[in-house]
Amino acid sequence: MSKVTLYILCAVLLYGCGSKEGEIFRNPSPSETGIDFRNTITETDDLNILDYLYFYNGGGVATGDINGDGLPDIFLSGNQVKNRLYLNEGNLKFRDISETAGISGNSTWNTGAIMGDINGDGLLDIYVCSVVGINGFNGQNELYINNGDNTFTESAAEFGLDFDTYSSSAALLDFDLDGDLDMYLLNHAVHTQQSYGKAELREKRNAQSGDRLLRNDGRIFVDVSEEAGIYGGANGYGLGIAVADFNQDGYPDIYVGNDFHEDDYYYINNGNGTFSEQLRKYFGHTTKFSMGNDVADINHDGWPDLISLDMLPEDEKVLKSSEGDDLTQTQILRVDRFGYHYQYSRNMLFVNQQNTPYAETAIQSGIAATDWSWSALFGDYDQDGEQDIFISNGIPKRPNDLDFIKFASDEQIKNKLSNTKLVDQQALNMMPSGVTHNYIFKGGEDVKYKDMSGIWTVKDTLISGATAMADLDNDGDLDLIINTLNSPTALYINKTDAKANYIKLRFNYTAKNKFGIGTKVFAYLNGNLQYKELYTVRGFQASSEPMVHFGFGKQDKIDSLKIVWPNRTYQVLKEVAVNQSLIISPENTKPFNYNLLRPLSQKIFNKVEGNLGINFTHEEDNYLDINRQKLIPYQISDRGPALATGDLNGDGKKDLFFGGSKYIPSRIFLQGDTTYVEKRIANIATDSIKEDVTAIIADLNNDSKKDLFIGSGGADFYNEMAPLTDSYYLQDETGFEASEFPEFFENAAVVRECDFDNDGDLDLFVGNNAITNDFGNIPNSYLLRNDRGKFSIVENKELQKAGMVTDAVWSDFDNDGTLDLIVVGEWMSPKFYKNNKGQLTEQVLLDNSYNGLWECIIPFDIDKDGDLDYLLGNWGNNTKFKASHDYPMKMIYSDFDQNGSTETIVATEKNGDYYPLEGLDELSAQMVGLRKKFTTYKAFAGKPITEILDQKALKSSTVLEVNTLQSGYLENNGGKYSFVPFKEELQVAPIRAFLEYDFDKDGSTEILAAGNYFGIKPYHGRLDSFSGALIKNENDVILGNKIGLELQFKSVRHLNMIDLNGRPYLLVTYNNDQAQVYDLGE
Amino acid sequence: MKQYLRLILLFAIIVSCDKKEEPIVITPQDLHYSIHKVTEVMIHDIFSPPVASRIFAYPNIAAYEIIALNNEEYKSLVGQVTDLMPIPKPGQDKSINYQMAALIAHMEISKRLIFSEDKIEAHRDSLYANWQDKNLTMFNNSMEYGLEVAKHIGDWLDKDNYKQTRTMPKFTINTDDTSRWQPTPPAYMDGIEPHWSKIRPFVIDSANQFVPAPPPVFSMELGSDFYKEVKEVYDISNEITSKGDNSEEIAIAKFWDCNPYVSVTRGHLMFATKKITPGAHWIGITKIACEKTNSDFDQTVFAYTKTSMAIADAFISCWDEKYRSNLIRPETVINQYIDENWQPVLQTPPFPEYTSGHSVVSGAAATALTSIFGDNFSFDDDTEIPYGLPIRSFTSFNQAADEAAISRMYGGIHYRAAVEIGVGQGRNLGKFIVDKLDMKGEKALTSK
Repeated sequence: MSKVTLYILCAVLLYGCGSKEGEIFRNPSPSETGIDFRNTITETDDLNILDYLYFYNGGGVATGDINGDGLPDIFLSGNQVKNRLYLNEGNLKFRDISETAGISGNSTWNTGAIMGDINGDGLLDIYVCSVVGINGFNGQNELYINNGDNTFTESAAEFGLDFDTYSSSAALLDFDLDGDLDMYLLNHAVHTQQSYGKAELREKRNAQSGDRLLRNDGRIFVDVSEEAGIYGGANGYGLGIAVADFNQDGYPDIYVGNDFHEDDYYYINNGNGTFSEQLRKYFGHTTKFSMGNDVADINHDGWPDLISLDMLPEDEKVLKSSEGDDLTQTQILRVDRFGYHYQYSRNMLFVNQQNTPYAETAIQSGIAATDWSWSALFGDYDQDGEQDIFISNGIPKRPNDLDFIKFASDEQIKNKLSNTKLVDQQALNMMPSGVTHNYIFKGGEDVKYKDMSGIWTVKDTLISGATAMADLDNDGDLDLIINTLNSPTALYINKTDAKANYIKLRFNYTAKNKFGIGTKVFAYLNGNLQYKELYTVRGFQASSEPMVHFGFGKQDKIDSLKIVWPNRTYQVLKEVAVNQSLIISPENTKPFNYNLLRPLSQKIFNKVEGNLGINFTHEEDNYLDINRQKLIPYQISDRGPALATGDLNGDGKKDLFFGGSKYIPSRIFLQGDTTYVEKRIANIATDSIKEDVTAIIADLNNDSKKDLFIGSGGADFYNEMAPLTDSYYLQDETGFEASEFPEFFENAAVVRECDFDNDGDLDLFVGNNAITNDFGNIPNSYLLRNDRGKFSIVENKELQKAGMVTDAVWSDFDNDGTLDLIVVGEWMSPKFYKNNKGQLTEQVLLDNSYNGLWECIIPFDIDKDGDLDYLLGNWGNNTKFKASHDYPMKMIYSDFDQNGSTETIVATEKNGDYYPLEGLDELSAQMVGLRKKFTTYKAFAGKPITEILDQKALKSSTVLEVNTLQSGYLENNGGKYSFVPFKEELQVAPIRAFLEYDFDKDGSTEILAAGNYFGIKPYHGRLDSFSGALIKNENDVILGNKIGLELQFKSVRHLNMIDLNGRPYLLVTYNNDQAQVYDLGE
Repeated sequence: MKQYLRLILLFAIIVSCDKKEEPIVITPQDLHYSIHKVTEVMIHDIFSPPVASRIFAYPNIAAYEIIALNNEEYKSLVGQVTDLMPIPKPGQDKSINYQMAALIAHMEISKRLIFSEDKIEAHRDSLYANWQDKNLTMFNNSMEYGLEVAKHIGDWLDKDNYKQTRTMPKFTINTDDTSRWQPTPPAYMDGIEPHWSKIRPFVIDSANQFVPAPPPVFSMELGSDFYKEVKEVYDISNEITSKGDNSEEIAIAKFWDCNPYVSVTRGHLMFATKKITPGAHWIGITKIACEKTNSDFDQTVFAYTKTSMAIADAFISCWDEKYRSNLIRPETVINQYIDENWQPVLQTPPFPEYTSGHSVVSGAAATALTSIFGDNFSFDDDTEIPYGLPIRSFTSFNQAADEAAISRMYGGIHYRAAVEIGVGQGRNLGKFIVDKLDMKGEKALTSK
C-alpha cells in the first residue's frame, strides 16, 4: 500500500494534477467529444421500478464504422429519450447526426442496440430492441438499414424483424453456415415471481418473453425457434447472450444468461440447423441473477472461456445488508422439486475444458464479487498479451436491501401502491443507492486476475450499463463507450498507445457477411497462442466494433496468424509485424480440419459399462447437520461411504465392502470369475443404523481369515449413543461375528492398521473428526493395541487430542525401519508421531505451522529426489474461505448465548479486519441477543467480529485457525518438511482422495488425486469443478478430463485399484452417487 | 440501569427544592397505550405468531402479580402457573403506586422481550418525565419496585426454554414424502418454530395435553377424505374469487389474515406488508371489551393477563400438533395435483397446516374472554383499522372465533379439519384454563 501511495505521490509531483501513474484510461468530457447523450429515465405514476422490474437496466450502445471512413461511429439507444447517432470525425471529435440520420426511434421503451450488416450490402445497419406490450409501452424493434449516405431507413417489417415483444438484446450469427447472418433475439420475462413454477415452463412457448432464433432466408427472417430447439418460456429472463464456437466444431453455439431462478441456456449447435440445450452436461452450477456475459480465450489454449455476471457485493457493508443466496433448504426445494439447476449469486468464470465440463474458477481468479454488474468485456487493455476484464455496474436503488425488504412498512409503501401507484419517495429513499465504481481486472497467468480499479481507471460514481468496445481514435488500443443512467455517456479512452505492441484485424469477407462475423484468429508468438473469434454482440445490450485485437507486450513480430473463416476454410499469414491495422480478405484459402483442434487423445481411463457388477450407489440420508448446528462451516454428516477392499471369503480374491448411511445397510460385493457378485452377510447388513464412514478388511486376530472393522460417524447421534461406536466383526468358520471393541462415542473419519509395536499382529489407529452438536471441540482419536484379536486403548494424550482428524498414514518418516504415524485433519497442522519401539511421540518436523482443512495424505516422492514427500489434499483456493499465515481464517468456538450449547463463528479477514461469514439472520437465529444489539441490517453490516460479539465472550472463547487452504505437498528436506502448494489447476476444489499406481504404464507410479465437495451452504456455492488429476511429479500434472475421467460435479470419497481376472481397474466411490469402475486399457 | 437511577437521583436533588406531590392516576388507557406500543414494535421487528404470544403474556403477568398484591379482589397466580414464585414485596416504609409499578414492570418486561428497545424507551421516558414532575418520591419508589418485580419475572421467564429452542434443529424438508409440509411461495421460508412445543406452558400441564384427532390421512385418491378436503378448499377459493374482492368470504379472510409478514414482490422490488398476529388481534378485542365495560386499571390487567395466557398456551398446544402431523399446505397440494397456477387468497404462512393456529387461538381466547365478560357480548371489532381493514361487528366472542376459524378456509390456507377441530382444540384448552385458574371471584363483569 505504501508503495502505491509513493507512486501516486511521485506521479502527482511529476505530472501535477494530470494523469496518475499506471492509469490506462482517461474520461474525456462530453464537451470535448461532442457526445452529450444522456439516458435520462423519468419516473411517473404509471412507470417506475414497481411497475417494471427492469426499469433500471438502461439503454444500449453499438459502435462501428457506418460511413466507411475507417473510424468507428457510436449509436446510443435511450429507454425513454430518443436514440442518437454520433459520427466519428477523428481526434475523438464526434458529430451528432441523429436528426438527419433518421434513427431517433418511435418505441416507448428502447433497450439493447446492435450494429451489423443485416441486409448483406456491406454496410453496418442498426437494430434497436424495445419492450412492447406492458406498462403501455408501444412500438416495435426497429431495423435501420444504412443507405450509405449517413441516413437510414427503418425497415424492420420488411425483414420480418418488427417484433413487439419484451426484447432486451439481439445477436447476429450465421448458425447454419449458409453465408448470411441470422439473429438470436433475446427477450425477457415478466412472469410473476410469486412462485417459481416448474422448470418445464420453459418448454411452453410464450410469444412475448420467449427468445427467438430467426433464420435469414434472404431479406426475410423466419422464426425457426421451435424446430431449432430454442426454449421460449414465460420464465426466460434473458439478459445475457454470448455467441461462440464453444466446442470448436465450426458451428457457432449460444450461451443465454437468464435472471432470477430460470437456468441459463447452453445451446450446442448440432450443425443441422438445430441446437441442443446442454447446460447440465457442461456446467455444474451457474450465476443466479445472470446479467451480461462475454467470451474470450483467457488461458491460451485456443478454446473460448466464458464470464457470466451476477451481483455479489465486495463491500462488507453492502454484502451484509443485501439479500443473497437461497437458504439451504430453499435450494434443495428449487432443485429437487422445481427442477432448476444449481445457481449462486456471484460472478462465474467458466474455463473451457475442451468438450468436457467447464471448470468454474471465479473465486480463485479473483473476480467473483463486483456488485450489481451489467456488462463484462474481455480485452487486452494494457496489451501485455493477457485478456483483461472490464465490468460496468451500479443501480440507482438496491431493491434487495434487507432493511427495505423487512422494515419498509405498510404506510410507506402499500398505501401509495393502492392509491397513486407511485412509489412513495420516502419509501424509495429507504433503499440505499447502488452506485459502485466500474471494475477493471488485469489478466495474468493461471487465470488469475488483479483488481486495477482506481489504478487503470478513476473510480467513478456512475450507473454504468451497456458497454461497447472500439478503437475510437485509431491508435490501436481498446477504448470503451458506456451508456449510463441519468448522466452523459462515458468514454474510456485508452492511453496505452505505443507503450505495448498490438495488432488490429478487420475482415473483408463475403458480400453477405463483409465484416466476417464468426471468423477465428489463432495468433502464435514464441509458441504462445492467442485466440479470438469475432462476434460483435458482447457484454450487455451492446455491440462492439467488428474487429479483432491482440496485445503483444514488447514482442515486435507475430510468428503467424491463422485465420479460420466461417466457411471452414483458412489461411495463414506469417511473420506479421505488430502495431498495424490489417484488413484481411480470404486469399488462397484451404479447407480447415476442425479435428486438428481436438486434443490429442491421452485417454488412460475408460468407463466400464455395468461396473463389473459393482452395482453400488451411495445414498446419503436426509439428515443435514447444518440444520442442527446452523453455524458450522461445512457438514460433517456427509463423510461416507466407507470402502474397504480385501478377501472376505478366503478365495484369494479381493472383495469389496461399501458402508451405508444411517439406516441404509452396507453392501458387500464378492469378486467372482467374470463379475463381482453382491453377497448379503446378515450380521453385517442388519446393523444398518450406523453411518459407516471408514472401514478396513484385515486379519485382526491372526487366524488367517479376514476380519472387518468399520468406523461410524454421521454427526447425527450424539453423547453416548450406541450408533456412534465402531463395529468390529471377526470371521470364523461360520461367518462374521460382532466382537468386543473399546467403546468410544466419536464420529470416525479414518482407520489405519499397522503393527506398530512389532508383536506380529495388526494394531489400529482410529482418527475421529468432530463431536456431534459440539463442532469445534476436539474429539478423541485412539491408538489401539491388538492382543490376539482383542483391542485396548493405548494411553497417549498427545495423539488422542491430535485434532479434528480426517486421515492418517503409517510411514517411516525417519527412516529407522519402523513405521511412524502422520495424522492430518481440519483446523490443524499435519502432525508427525515418531514410533520409538511402540511409543508414539509427536515430533516437530515442519518448518512452519500449516493449519489447513486437510482431507487426505499420501506418501510419494513427488520431486523425484529419492526421499518420500507427503501429498496433502486441502480445500483449495476456489472457496469463500480465505486464509494466510498473516491472516488465518478463524473459527471462534464458545457457548456465546450461554444456553448450554456451543456455537462456532467463522470469520475471515478483509482489509485488515475480521468479519463473520454468516449474516445477521443466521447469527441472530442462534444468538437472539444480536437482534437487540443490531436492530437493522445497516447497523450490523460492515461491523467486524470484535464489534459483533462482546469482548467477554470473545475472550472466553476458543479460536481455531486455518492458515493454508491450498492443496500441496510436504517436501522432504533431509527429514524436515516444508509445504509446497500445487499449481492453481489443482486448487479448483477440495482434494479428498489420493491413489498411487502406475496408471500410464511408464514403469513408475503416479498419484491420482480427486475430490469436490457439496456439504456447504448456498453462499459458498458448489465445489464441483475438479476433474481429478494425474500427478507424475511436481511439474507434470494432467487433469482427469484429458485422460478419460469424468469426476466433475461429483464428490469423490475413495479411489481404489481393484481387479477382476487379474486385470486392474480403478474404482471411484462417491458420496451420494453411483460408484464407477474405469478400465485402464491394454 | 444503575446509571439511569443515578441520573434520576441527581435530578431529584436538583429539583428537591421544588418538590411536588400531586397524586398520580394510572388509567387503563395508559396500559392500553403501552400494549399498543409493544404491538407496534413487534410488527416492526417481525415476531412470528407463537413468539408474539409469549411477548404479550409475560408483561401482563408481571403487572398482574403487582396488582394482586394490592387488590384483594385478585389472587396471585403463584401456584397456578408453572414455576412462578411469589414476587418480592415492597418495603413497608415506602409509599408505592401499585398501578404505576405494574405499568413500569409491564414496560420493562416488554422491552426485554422485543428487539427495538429504543421505540419502547421513548414511550417509557415520556411517561417517566411526566410522573417525575408530578410526584418524584412516589415515582422513584414505584419504579424501584416495578423494576424489582420485572427482574423477578425476568428470571422466571428466562427458564422457559426459549433460549434453548433457538439452537434446536431446523425443520428438515423431505421432498420425497408427498404428505409432508414443504416451504411455500413466494418466500419459501423454513418452517418457523419447530420446537415451540418445548416452551414451558403457563397453565396447561404440557404441550400435548390437548392433542386433537389426527387429520385425514394424506391421499390424492378421488373420494378419499383428504382429497375431498383439498378439493373443497380449491372449490371454495374459486367460488369466492369469482364473486370478486367484495365478497363477504374474501372480506372475512382478509379481516382475520393476521399475518405478521407477507412477502410482496412487485417488479424487482421486494417488501413486506405486515400485520398484527392472531394473538395481537385477540389482545385488541380484549381492549375493546375492557373499554366497553369501562373496566378499571386492575380489571384491565386481569383481562389481559388471563386472555394472553390462554393465547400463549394455545400456541404451544397448536404448534405441538403442527410439527407432529407435519401436514402439507393446500397451496402445495393443489399446485402439484390440481392446478399449478392456483394461489390462495391469503399468503400461506410458513409452518405446517394442522391444526389452524388462528382457530386454536381464537377458540381459547374467546373462551377466556367469555369467562370474563360473559357470553353474548356484542362488540365492534376495529382492531384492524390501522391495516386498512374495516370494522366487523360480532354478537359474541365465540361468534368471532368461529368466523376467524372459517376465514382460514376462505383464505385457502387450511382444510376444514384444521379449522373445525382446531377451534375445538382451542375451546377445550380455554375451558381447562378457565376452570383451573382462580384469579378473581370469576363472576362475569356483565353482572356488574
